[in-house]
Amino acid sequence: MTVGVPTIFAMGGGGFTMEPENPALDEFILSLSPRPIPRLLYLPTASGDQEANVAHFHNAFDHLHCETNQLSLFRLGATGAIPLRDYILSMDIVYVGGGSMRNLLAIWRAHGLDRILVEAWERGTVLAGLSAGAMCWFTGGISCSTGVPEVAPGLGLLPGSLSVHRDGEASRLPVFRDAVNRGELPPGWAADDGVGLVFKKDHFVRAVSSRAGAGAARVFPGGEEELDVQWLGDRTHAQAPPAPTPVDIREYREHRRRVGRG
Amino acid sequence: MESGNPLLDDYVVGLAAAAAGTDRPKVCFVPTASGDADHYIVRFYRAFPSSRCEPSHVSLFRRDRGSGIDGDIASHLLQQDLIYVGGGSVLSLLGAWKAHGLDQVLAECWRRGVVLCGLSAGSLCWFSEAVTAFHGSPERVEGLGLLPYGNCVHTNDANRHEEFRALVGAGEMGPSYGADDGAALHFVGRDLGHAVASRKDAKAFRLEGIGGEALETPLHVEYLGEQRRLAAA
Repeated sequence: MTVGVPTIFAMGGGGFTMEPENPALDEFILSLSPRPIPRLLYLPTASGDQEANVAHFHNAFDHLHCETNQLSLFRLGATGAIPLRDYILSMDIVYVGGGSMRNLLAIWRAHGLDRILVEAWERGTVLAGLSAGAMCWFTGGISCSTGVPEVAPGLGLLPGSLSVHRDGEASRLPVFRDAVNRGELPPGWAADDGVGLVFKKDHFVRAVSSRAGAGAARVFPGGEEELDVQWLGDRTHAQAPPAPTPVDIREYREHRRRVGRG
Repeated sequence: MESGNPLLDDYVVGLAAAAAGTDRPKVCFVPTASGDADHYIVRFYRAFPSSRCEPSHVSLFRRDRGSGIDGDIASHLLQQDLIYVGGGSVLSLLGAWKAHGLDQVLAECWRRGVVLCGLSAGSLCWFSEAVTAFHGSPERVEGLGLLPYGNCVHTNDANRHEEFRALVGAGEMGPSYGADDGAALHFVGRDLGHAVASRKDAKAFRLEGIGGEALETPLHVEYLGEQRRLAAA
């Protein structure tokens, strides 16, 4: 357990699930903890704890200086049931994956995890995440959880708003601008894939990126202002050969192709 | 969807087919409690092939890439003959359903006569209250309340059985039904119609707290394999 300044690292996209060949943001997340070997927890709730994401997590972090853990809110793992609060509060970093923001928050609340994460943040556990796992910390964001981009409320640890995938999913930004202009969302930030924003307490501190040229902007009613984004340098490595796809996953993809929803 | 044992699936598809007056009922799988796990969805399509029904599934985690169905989820579910809810975490299931308004939609399906079924979390969810031990010690959770009783599953696990008895005995839960793995409770309206099983030794029972004690009444459970053996003879 860490005692430090409440820290949030919100990514517009990127990290091991989106750019497994580029560890820049993942390594940066580890550097946000003062611990030499931080206890790192992956929370893949927003994706429904997809096994592929958990495998990517271990590929990305098992060989780095950290202790890797993951928590499922759908299945009891090999460890069985665990006392949730003690477990979360024992972590130095919580890394929240992307997926459905609506499901993420509803499921956290159903398990009482929202309150525990707030407590962890106050005690100095670094909260990091991408996409749904980034917007969840703000007052609100733009989610596609029901199929189309729309305003979605977050936990409100950070007083502003966030829109993600500014370059990768262009349909969100106009909805975001509009919501900020109308006052439905407070002023906030829009971040490209590969860009992460560091917040200490509720103040924006700096922006970093894993991709040269990736950017982020401050968005307020009637205007935008590009941020200075520090590129973390070329950290890409030759991608390890992907693990073979399990037979049932192949069968499911076949099914999706057959019914025309590739 | 027990591996190699289709007895309960056959039973519930038979119910839906009879109610709808068709040979190929519309069956929709709702795998929310598993986080829409791919392998589980595949198992559903294996167990419910299009030769015996019109299968589909609804995903609540990837709606940005389509829900798995055409059109909106509510109208799709309301058109079904059978809705099959998979297992997993009942807390996550109910949380996600409420976030998408599915609690209301499923209640409406039930009122209109769609057969609702499910195992484990997919059983607990229909009752007023249920027992989950997801975070260690057993706790009472509130379900959708279509059935005004408590429910506990996997009661063939001796610990789970005892925990259930303790909750009901202490008055923390009202009159309740318990079911072992392989046993199923068939409610018609709010009343228990039959208890059936895919395994010979699977038990089901009613539990009531009386004077601080849990009074357990075994239910007559019909083993579906016997019926099939007789029918084949």
